[in-house]
Amino acid sequence: MTAGDAAVIVLVSLPHAAAIAGFVWPSRAVTVSLISAATLMAAALVAMHAVAGYGAWRHDVGGWEAPLGIGWTIDGVACALLLLTAAVGLAGSIHHAAARVRPSTAAHDPRYFWPLWLFLWGGLNALFVSADLFNIFVTLEFVTVASVGLIALSGRLAQAAAWRYLLATLFGSSVYLLGVALIYGRVAALDLPFLAQALPADLVGMTAASLVTIGLLLKGAVFPLHFWLPSAHARALPPVSAILSGVVVAAAFYLLARAWLGPFRELLTPAAGTALGLLGAGAVLWGGLLALLQRHLKRMIAYSTVSQLGFCMLLFPLAAAGATQLAWTGAMVVLLAHGLSKAACFLAAGVIVRHHRSGRVDALGGCQQGIGLAWFAFALAAASLVGLPPTGGFVGKWWLAQAAINSGAYPWLALLVAGTLLTAAYLWRVLEAAIRTGPPDEARRPAAIAAHREGAPATPSDRGMMIAALGLALGAVAVGAAAPPLAPVLSSAIGVTW
Amino acid sequence: MGLVGQVFDALLAIALVWLAWQATRAADLFRAVVSFIVFGLLMAVAWVRLEAPDIALAEAAIGAGATGALLLSALDRLAPRRGRSWARVWRADARTWVLWVPAVMALAGALTAAAWQLPAPGLGAVATGALEQSGVDHAVTAVLLNFRALDTLLEIGVLVLAAVAVWSMGPAPAASAPVMPSPTLPMLGRTLFPVFVLVAAYLLWRGSHAPGGAFPAGAVLGAGGILMLLAGAQPWIRSAEHGPWRAILSAGFAVMLFAAIVGALAGGAFFEYPAAIASHAILVLEVTAGMSIALLLFAVYLRGEPHPAADTDRQRC
Amino acid sequence: MLIYLALASVLFVIGLHGLFTARNLLRRLLSLNVLTTAVFLLLVVIARKATPLDPVPHAMVLTGIVIAVSTTAVALALVERIALRHSPEPEPSASTRPGEEDA
Repeated sequence: MTAGDAAVIVLVSLPHAAAIAGFVWPSRAVTVSLISAATLMAAALVAMHAVAGYGAWRHDVGGWEAPLGIGWTIDGVACALLLLTAAVGLAGSIHHAAARVRPSTAAHDPRYFWPLWLFLWGGLNALFVSADLFNIFVTLEFVTVASVGLIALSGRLAQAAAWRYLLATLFGSSVYLLGVALIYGRVAALDLPFLAQALPADLVGMTAASLVTIGLLLKGAVFPLHFWLPSAHARALPPVSAILSGVVVAAAFYLLARAWLGPFRELLTPAAGTALGLLGAGAVLWGGLLALLQRHLKRMIAYSTVSQLGFCMLLFPLAAAGATQLAWTGAMVVLLAHGLSKAACFLAAGVIVRHHRSGRVDALGGCQQGIGLAWFAFALAAASLVGLPPTGGFVGKWWLAQAAINSGAYPWLALLVAGTLLTAAYLWRVLEAAIRTGPPDEARRPAAIAAHREGAPATPSDRGMMIAALGLALGAVAVGAAAPPLAPVLSSAIGVTW
Repeated sequence: MGLVGQVFDALLAIALVWLAWQATRAADLFRAVVSFIVFGLLMAVAWVRLEAPDIALAEAAIGAGATGALLLSALDRLAPRRGRSWARVWRADARTWVLWVPAVMALAGALTAAAWQLPAPGLGAVATGALEQSGVDHAVTAVLLNFRALDTLLEIGVLVLAAVAVWSMGPAPAASAPVMPSPTLPMLGRTLFPVFVLVAAYLLWRGSHAPGGAFPAGAVLGAGGILMLLAGAQPWIRSAEHGPWRAILSAGFAVMLFAAIVGALAGGAFFEYPAAIASHAILVLEVTAGMSIALLLFAVYLRGEPHPAADTDRQRC
Repeated sequence: MLIYLALASVLFVIGLHGLFTARNLLRRLLSLNVLTTAVFLLLVVIARKATPLDPVPHAMVLTGIVIAVSTTAVALALVERIALRHSPEPEPSASTRPGEEDA
């Protein structure tokens, strides 16, 4: 067993083992989780190092080769997403451990956070390495149940949001499974790289591709199937919002990309690409517009997720137009940078909302003493979301723009520019509110004023949470520096046809 | 299939469509749920007709039994909402008959035609070829616990996760007593439970060489346990930290995970059982997986965190 | 075989229709279950059409059934708690965390 294999096995099994431990011994859950989180980060780095050093590889689970067995493909993209999960997972764990939720103040028993959190992490890791369509279905359901459990933890209002999310995503799973069943009936295989060779571009292939796509679009909350996302993401605890917005939604896009550039490559005609791109365009504009109109910080960030994932959807029209490799690396860098910066936003927002005792954007002004670090993290993350150089967001969008120019697809370039301006507008609204001297309607919010009068100095707990957010924001900036040298690694993807 | 078989299939299909329609449309919820349970039972017959006895067993026990019990016990928490009467359904939904039905028929027809064209090459030959090295004789068991054991691991994981998620929502809203307690139910439940245990043991024992095995066995046992609860038995998970029960509930998942890692450590891949012990390893996994499924179905049925205070006074609302 | 394929299609459509038109939460859940059963039926028919009989879809459906009951259980737990909010009886201790609620 090589170091890379060992790392992947740790990545898949440790979160589950730790989750069980946290469930059985709730009193030790925090310690177990933090140690596991650090170990998982290390394992993700080892796996990435192995891929960068020796290239991508396949791990046949149980020693059975495809089509009979389930395969894991450990390649550059998979490792990048494993690293993203590890970063968001580690920061979220630190944030939640620092928040030190006491049973008396929580809506529900906080003992269940850690098992659900770790199960979600494990499910995501299993999803990112899996190359088997049915195994992916199982991991998607795993992720769904864990996400629903985590959303529902924040109490009454969140339960209704969790229900909507559950119903939408279960319906998505069923549609996805129908597509998988058709594929299986056509070629009797489920392995993505195997199907990339074997699946013909006939009517069955087209039907299956549309079904799989609809299922994944629902799970990825891609416009116009995004209706469930904002309240689910806005009502959850900060670390939960962070991982849902940063990683869980990204997982659906990751699968779409692997499917369309793998088994469905022949079907990715300019027309199909344009259709997917138009959904992306709708997401960018509609999500951005609604983000601009939101009054509440967390809802604004949630709508921004809808909008930002729209940029990633540009992969499909640009790949159909011939600029596959550039569009792929660009979309993946946008995905990673978005994951890190969006998670940073949610973690920072957790601290900011706690400090101001209000989630309304227009109440965020006034005394920021003690939470400067949170605002710094938020501003850095916003810079990456907008795409200011030298952040990861900039590099990703730059590559997408280059792909658009190279393939002469200028409408998509215009969309990139418009989306960027829209992003800048809604994020500036928040930062502008923050630097105002005081809330405009002070008289109406005694609690907030009391907080200001006290000066609310930063507690060690706040500091831990802010450092977690800052770490992620710095990560989003670092992606910008790391992306150009790592571009070849990112475009090592088993089963993807360029 | 002879003519009799064809006619039987056709009648079965009509009954299933009728029940599915009832389950989604019936005027009152109780009727919808009961239709759904009968739907599950008839689906089990359909599975047998399609030569899938393993699925038939699981469907009867889980699809109809466990899910049905869950649905029934949820009913009394939900406001008794009387739907529209049938007469009104026929009248008010005139649009349904003009617009929906033709569209639906067209879609269904297209789907059927597309699926009928599928060549369905299947992996039967490949699976049979690999059966000898798998350590079991029954192909479905070999797929579940060897070829695609990762799916099974994650599936039990989903069940554990569901139990954790359900418990995390706090204590069950009401006692897990039945919607309409029948005077014969307690006695029936207690009498039947040993039968459930025997059937489960038999299925488990048969599993490695014939239809049956961990899943149906676990499902049957779980359904039996739920029947006991319906019959008024007190849930046994009572202490504050739930004593050893949390460990026992996660045991099946933990053992499978452990086996997978041991395979990797022994020099193979994740879940690669060393050839010499494959059949024993699978047997152990099967038993733990079956028991674990039974217990987890039971834990999920509690519909909330079992709490020492919550289940001592069982007031109904 | 054709009968069962047609059955799968009809069940799928019934489930779809129920999911989109039903208002009651429990009914939508039942519709979703019918929908999933239709997909399982398609898989088993595919297994039956293959020669020799294909065990892989059978295993997939068994896995799917256990997953379906898990998700149904979680969904029901949510539905019960959501329904409880609309019922008059008081709920024990459900204070939201200060600063975490977002209206």
